Amino acid sequence: MIGPQAAGTWYDDMSDNANGPAGAGRSRLDWLRRYGLPLALAVIFAGLSAATPNFLTAQNLIIVLRQISINGILAVGVTFVLLTGGVDLSLGSVLALSGVVAAHCAHPGAWPLAFPVVVGMLVGCACGGANALVVTRGRVPSFIVTLGMMTVARGLALVASGGKPVSNLSKGFCLIGGGEALGIPVPVIILACVAALAYVVLRHMRVGRHVYAVGGNEAAARASGLRVGRIKCFAYVTCGALAGLAGVVLAARITTGQPNAGIAYELDAIAAAVIGGTSLSGGVGGVGGTILGALLMGVINNGLDLLNVPSYYQQIVKGLIIVGAVWIDRGGRR
Amino acid sequence: MLPGPLLQVEGLTRVFPGVRALDGVRLEVARGTVHALVGENGAGKSTLMRILAGLDVADSGMIHFKGQAFVPRHPVEALRLGISMIHQELLPFPEMTVAENIFMGHEPTRGPLGWIDRGRMEREAAALLSRVGASVAPSRRMGELGVADMQLVEIAKAMAHRAELLIMDEPTSALSAREVESLFGLISELKASGVSVIYISHRFEEIFRIADEVTVLRDGRFVGSGPIGSLDEGRLISMMVGRELGAGSSCGGPVGERLLEVRGLSRRGMFRDVSFCARGGEVVGIAGLMGAGRTGLLRAIYGLAPADAGEIRVRGVVARIVSPRCALVLGIALVGDDRKGDGLVGGMSVKHNLTLASLGRCCRGPFIDPSAEDRVADEQMAALGIRAPHRDAPVEFLSGGNQQKVVIAKALLAEPNILLLDEPTRGIDIAAKAEVHEIIRGLARSGKAVVVVSSEMPEIFALSGRILVMRGGELSGELDPRRATQEDVMRLAMRN
Amino acid sequence: MRARAMALAAVALALAACGRPGPGAPTKGGADTGLVIGVSLLNLSSEFIVLLQRAMEERAAEMGVRLIINDAERSAEKQVRQAEAFVAQKVDAIILNPCEVEASSPAVDRAIDAGIPVVNVNSETRSAPSAFVGSRDEESGRIAMEYIAKRLGGRGNVLMMHGFMGQAAQIKRDAGAREILAKHPDMKLLAEQSAEWDRAKAMSLMENWIQSHGDKIAAVFAQNDEMAMGALIALEAAGLKGNVVVAGVDAIADALQAVKDGRLDATVFQDAKGQGSVAVETAFKLIRGEPIKREVYIPFRLVTRENVGEFLGR
Repeated sequence: MIGPQAAGTWYDDMSDNANGPAGAGRSRLDWLRRYGLPLALAVIFAGLSAATPNFLTAQNLIIVLRQISINGILAVGVTFVLLTGGVDLSLGSVLALSGVVAAHCAHPGAWPLAFPVVVGMLVGCACGGANALVVTRGRVPSFIVTLGMMTVARGLALVASGGKPVSNLSKGFCLIGGGEALGIPVPVIILACVAALAYVVLRHMRVGRHVYAVGGNEAAARASGLRVGRIKCFAYVTCGALAGLAGVVLAARITTGQPNAGIAYELDAIAAAVIGGTSLSGGVGGVGGTILGALLMGVINNGLDLLNVPSYYQQIVKGLIIVGAVWIDRGGRR
Repeated sequence: MLPGPLLQVEGLTRVFPGVRALDGVRLEVARGTVHALVGENGAGKSTLMRILAGLDVADSGMIHFKGQAFVPRHPVEALRLGISMIHQELLPFPEMTVAENIFMGHEPTRGPLGWIDRGRMEREAAALLSRVGASVAPSRRMGELGVADMQLVEIAKAMAHRAELLIMDEPTSALSAREVESLFGLISELKASGVSVIYISHRFEEIFRIADEVTVLRDGRFVGSGPIGSLDEGRLISMMVGRELGAGSSCGGPVGERLLEVRGLSRRGMFRDVSFCARGGEVVGIAGLMGAGRTGLLRAIYGLAPADAGEIRVRGVVARIVSPRCALVLGIALVGDDRKGDGLVGGMSVKHNLTLASLGRCCRGPFIDPSAEDRVADEQMAALGIRAPHRDAPVEFLSGGNQQKVVIAKALLAEPNILLLDEPTRGIDIAAKAEVHEIIRGLARSGKAVVVVSSEMPEIFALSGRILVMRGGELSGELDPRRATQEDVMRLAMRN
Repeated sequence: MRARAMALAAVALALAACGRPGPGAPTKGGADTGLVIGVSLLNLSSEFIVLLQRAMEERAAEMGVRLIINDAERSAEKQVRQAEAFVAQKVDAIILNPCEVEASSPAVDRAIDAGIPVVNVNSETRSAPSAFVGSRDEESGRIAMEYIAKRLGGRGNVLMMHGFMGQAAQIKRDAGAREILAKHPDMKLLAEQSAEWDRAKAMSLMENWIQSHGDKIAAVFAQNDEMAMGALIALEAAGLKGNVVVAGVDAIADALQAVKDGRLDATVFQDAKGQGSVAVETAFKLIRGEPIKREVYIPFRLVTRENVGEFLGR
């Protein structure tokens, strides 16, 4: 694990000896640091299993996985940007834009199935590329650039759809969101592939290591001969492409391209990554944690619905659990 | 005045994951004395001081201050009781004024709403500044000040808190000789007025000059303590490192072709019309005062802040170096003077820092080969004697000397022919310093051209085959270390 | 610097290209009366509001009136500013599609103070306008729930999906639905939850409800069609749609198509076209000083498979 915590966490250990340096016996805090998030997840899991018989069933767990797939894909994408020390607030709008454009290409019999998927992702790539260009060339803070893109992409989505949902999508396309393979929903399979790929890129590929270095200390990365601009560009484009993919999956799931879909999704995605241990200041974190973070949020949503907690209280409980989980995870880090 | 020592520390222990930073440490500081705290980097000095200043909390042990048990949990508690720390890396608020920095956290206010009384604040700040002998206007922006003035402001800040114990961590590491003299004068005055000073330094001549007593730490343990008069330098060194050190000698081996040539290099506001060359197999030392443009020169050659005019030739061919990447491709590497700033990625492991500039050699296609990377890291750690708990330990947990060796190793892994080193031994202990010197000599012996910038005269003389001196952004002369003296260098470095 | 200037120029060009030829200029129909009506709409990314806007533009063109249409983007504060701008431009009348009951009231006050007639369309403000054109949202909840009661024979478990909690439409549709539920003691509200008008959220909510309530569910009332479509897709995926009655409100195109295909049981048609054109007519009469009805209620209509034909393509 890269970061201020010495021992690291088992799910995103950048080091090869997950036990960390040998030394004085592992303290309680150390243990919390390592297992805090899985622990929080386990506690909530156990609590929900006890509270309602409908929670711990194979079918419900698959539903939870399906429900986190959109947020999960977005969160994996934004993890790349967060690791470089930036932020991407345009995710939700880019998702809507890609969904609308993909939906236009997904009317029955219009194009082969892969076409809308590719087009949706390319739209995402273009938005991410535009973000990256202004961040690296213009040296404008990513918060501002992506805030601007958030509005621009939303506007483009409305233009592209004429303000109305794009419906009448082909059956095949809708399977991307609603289909199953071997009992596993297609969006879950997509999320699993995305997460696995991102994990390999960040842990085992040169460009992944460079992403961490840029976020950890940009000046040192530059002085070590890294092409900081290109590396950031890679992160933003990856993030955009995954937002595009999420938009395609969402459109397929709700069987329309909605110009006003995904409002505030970026915040859920960033929350999942941060819950998972990715630092908002960059250089620390990883995909494994992000997936756990998305899972935690999904389980809470599902559990509160199953328990029939009234809407007003749901919002309060969600907020408290999210902050609490991060608190446990960062317990005692000084 | 109360009897007994001002500060008494017994059995202090602090454990970090994997490291026992302090292990039953003892320290006793009498009122109105200067107490030197010495030890190699990683001996636990910084941890001890951080605990005293309330920046960290001990796991066990006792601290008595002014006769009372004392467990600071926050810097403010330590400040209120009269303990102030002047950090090695100063931590000012650069955008605020000097007065605001001095009174940060206890601004003089008027009325119940906490309206800041700016006039009073500046008046009091001016009084404090004149007391510490700083000729700085209280309304200046902190960021405009030089290191020495910043330090005086920090001391003034401590005075504003009526500090009785002042902790100074390597206060002279960035000061010129003149500034050091005036700092020592100030310390004497403080001492006379009853303030105690804990003085951390690697420079023996300073310790023997101003300290009354000395405590030695090694590997987090208390080694010994006593009046400075009872010790000599050799004894102190052997207490610190547990062995005696031999003196190094400068290298005067055969010199090869001109690897690096600089002609008329200029960058506005930093340096002007600098020309020199460095041959394979030689170490060129660049001496000068702070602000003479030496760092800017190296950064320009490395492409971090390219020059406005002039040319750089590598092996006789004109090179356009616009980024560190270009420099590395041409076989030029830089070990900068700012480890934390642009040398290391603090949160990353030792291994990942080592391979950062040359990851390509541990890769198959775009994929990292973990076993190749481990092998490369282990080789470098062994070759340079980097002492770390593990190659996967975060680099920020290493001592300064070992961090410096990581930076050097990273540069060497890029396989440069021309190595630029800027203050390669700043803030590291003497044992590590000797090792770094040996590494530098070894590089020259292997046929590389080495350029070393250093503010420590003995280092320049110990390493260089030729000494260049810079003054006010220009090259003011070249000396042969076998014939020149330190005074000769100083004459060229100072304005007449 | 030059690059920046060029970028600015490009943006300016793009903006010019986007601009419609003469905002809302009368294109066809009646002779130009020279009258101008300022319109501030809740949110142009909502399908219903877009339909409302089109109806207004059509009617205005027929009558020879020029419209200045502003999008308040769901911000009451922005809406008030837009009303102030209309007053400053000395428009002849203002049509307001209020964002919020309280917060949009100052927009009405400003116009009335300046002697400019105001017509509120679709939803209300606390301050009284010159006239109101809209529908009673309670009615939509009543119509949908009555349909469900009829289908269930007055007996069975119902789930309700709310819009954004606290918004006028959510409160009123909820009230209307409850009115009917109270009349049928054998109909039980099994669970209710907000899906924030959002199709994806409604889908997740329905999936979770299927887990906790399974085959006990007899009917779902969603306070808008987006949520009804989400619930429908989730029920279909779980193979439960055959046993569950689903009804929504708004009659959006997707929902109408689903009703036609026999997937969605019912939706409630809110007459955007009627509201839009009557609002423009009322504003016109106010300017001319002709007599008007202070409150015009355009009725809701239940849409089922039997009558869906007359709404499709409207």
